[in-house]
Amino acid sequence: MPMHPRERLAFSPIEGRPLLKFPKGIRLVIWPVLALEEWDMSRPMARMVISPPQGQPMLPDHPNWSWHEYGMRVGFWRLQTMMLKLGISPTVTLNARVCETYPTVVKACTDHGWELNAHGYDQVPMHKLDDQRAVIMKSMDVIEKFSGKRPRGWFGPGLTQTFDTLDYLSEAGVEYIGDWVLDDEPVMLKTTHKPVVALPYNFEIHDIVMMALQHLPSDQWHSRALDHFRTLYEESTERPKVMAMACHPYLSGVPHRIGHVERTFAELLAHDGVVAWDGAKILDWYLAARK
Amino acid sequence: MNFPKPAVGMLPNDRLDYSAITTRKPLKLPKGARLVVWTITNVEEWDPTQTMPRTVLTPPAGGSPMPDIPNWCWHEYGNRVGFWRLLQVYDDFKIPGVMNINGVAVKAYPDVVKACVDRNWEFIGHGYTQRNMQKVENERTDIRKSAEVLEEATGKRPRGWLGPGLTETWETPDILAEEGYDYVADWVLDDQPVWMKTRGKPILNIPYTQECNDVAMMLIQHHRASEFYERAMDQFEQIYRDAKGSARVMAISVHPYIMGAPHRVKYFRKIYEKIRKKRDVLFWTGSQIADWYTKVGPKPA
Repeated sequence: MPMHPRERLAFSPIEGRPLLKFPKGIRLVIWPVLALEEWDMSRPMARMVISPPQGQPMLPDHPNWSWHEYGMRVGFWRLQTMMLKLGISPTVTLNARVCETYPTVVKACTDHGWELNAHGYDQVPMHKLDDQRAVIMKSMDVIEKFSGKRPRGWFGPGLTQTFDTLDYLSEAGVEYIGDWVLDDEPVMLKTTHKPVVALPYNFEIHDIVMMALQHLPSDQWHSRALDHFRTLYEESTERPKVMAMACHPYLSGVPHRIGHVERTFAELLAHDGVVAWDGAKILDWYLAARK
Repeated sequence: MNFPKPAVGMLPNDRLDYSAITTRKPLKLPKGARLVVWTITNVEEWDPTQTMPRTVLTPPAGGSPMPDIPNWCWHEYGNRVGFWRLLQVYDDFKIPGVMNINGVAVKAYPDVVKACVDRNWEFIGHGYTQRNMQKVENERTDIRKSAEVLEEATGKRPRGWLGPGLTETWETPDILAEEGYDYVADWVLDDQPVWMKTRGKPILNIPYTQECNDVAMMLIQHHRASEFYERAMDQFEQIYRDAKGSARVMAISVHPYIMGAPHRVKYFRKIYEKIRKKRDVLFWTGSQIADWYTKVGPKPA
């Protein structure tokens, strides 16, 4: 049933709310998100690094398809090395079709015990699907079949939703989403089924936004994240804070950025009371803490 | 100039003549101050059933899907979390706030309004909704409704106006003057206030800024956050120099969903750390600027 966002969640200023508490010794949780996508070559590419001469998008778009493919062939493995070195267990959000097209990549994730989170079936906005409900169910089923576990979390491709998406997600068993970036704390969203938790995801410590849309220099990965972190870390003396950071292999896994990504994670995690949790763990904490 | 005249309203040069800033009679501020800085906070409510005014994340392969929940959430974050960070800066440096707010946002964000009323901020009209003034159904109704909503919430009728995206029709200043507004800030064409003719009584235009503005700097020009501080300081230093002999006005404009983000707010704070201590710089609201200029400046033509 289509619902206005405010019918799902009333406005509330962060100041003056009941206080949530992390376990002793923790003041800020980093939520690392690694996104794996399938770019179907028969369609326009999800993002572009190079536009064709005279600017008109052409099909097929080999150069931009290759850009993404490099991420899966090379970039992902660099990010994997980094995560293992730093002892980080990220949330892997994936288009379910990646289980079929890049099984080695998904297998590497499950071998490490990383959380799989559903990111639609293909990298296509939810608005463009003929049967959203069926695609959501299929995405969850395909990942469950591949990994043996039904995903608990969901990110829409490009975080897109229509006014009824949340109801289908809840119906399919999704417990949390990252699509509603509107708070520093988890919030509970009403649906026609069970409520769904929106975890505090991030728009701007996000490699697509920083690098592909805002065209910032690679070192901004580090300096922006540090600026962001310092503010939240200071505020975390008052209220618990979650800081999400989003990586895509074709952006964060390339040679000129990976160093900035790695030193960012390393420096943040070196602070007292800072740990990295995946989405499922943040969800479990929130559900227990709000009681 | 031989531009065709609009059927209703006026061409810009019929409202005010060209004038070089160096040829004017010197303007003096109280106690030997050189310039006034006014800071504007813009609070908007975005209708989730319409196209979003700005976006931070576009959908895969582009386009403008409807509804656009992610970008609606982006602006909502500003009012749930970001605004309170900006407020801390205003409080710490005792900056008199100017709240430039959509009429609909007054009802949507009562806690934001209350925090500003409690601090005696000046509220100015920013359209009833965040829509281009050329696209609202009835401009006069929109302008009047904006004033009524603000008067109801704050007890005071707004004296100032800043259109959504600074948009105007040929007639906007006429309607604003008729509806009781004393000043407007849509005309970014000078470093001193200027009088503008309307078909009724004149209206004052106060210097505003397109480029010391987080929308332009962060969302359009895509600069790193530190540029907000760097540019504000460059702007400040030059205007301070220019103000030797005749006063100037500088504006700084922010939006909670942009400068209230954790990675940006420190650069907003840094500006005031640097300039708030200066003895010959005044921090005023728009109304204070309007009252001063009306008293000491040239009389309207």
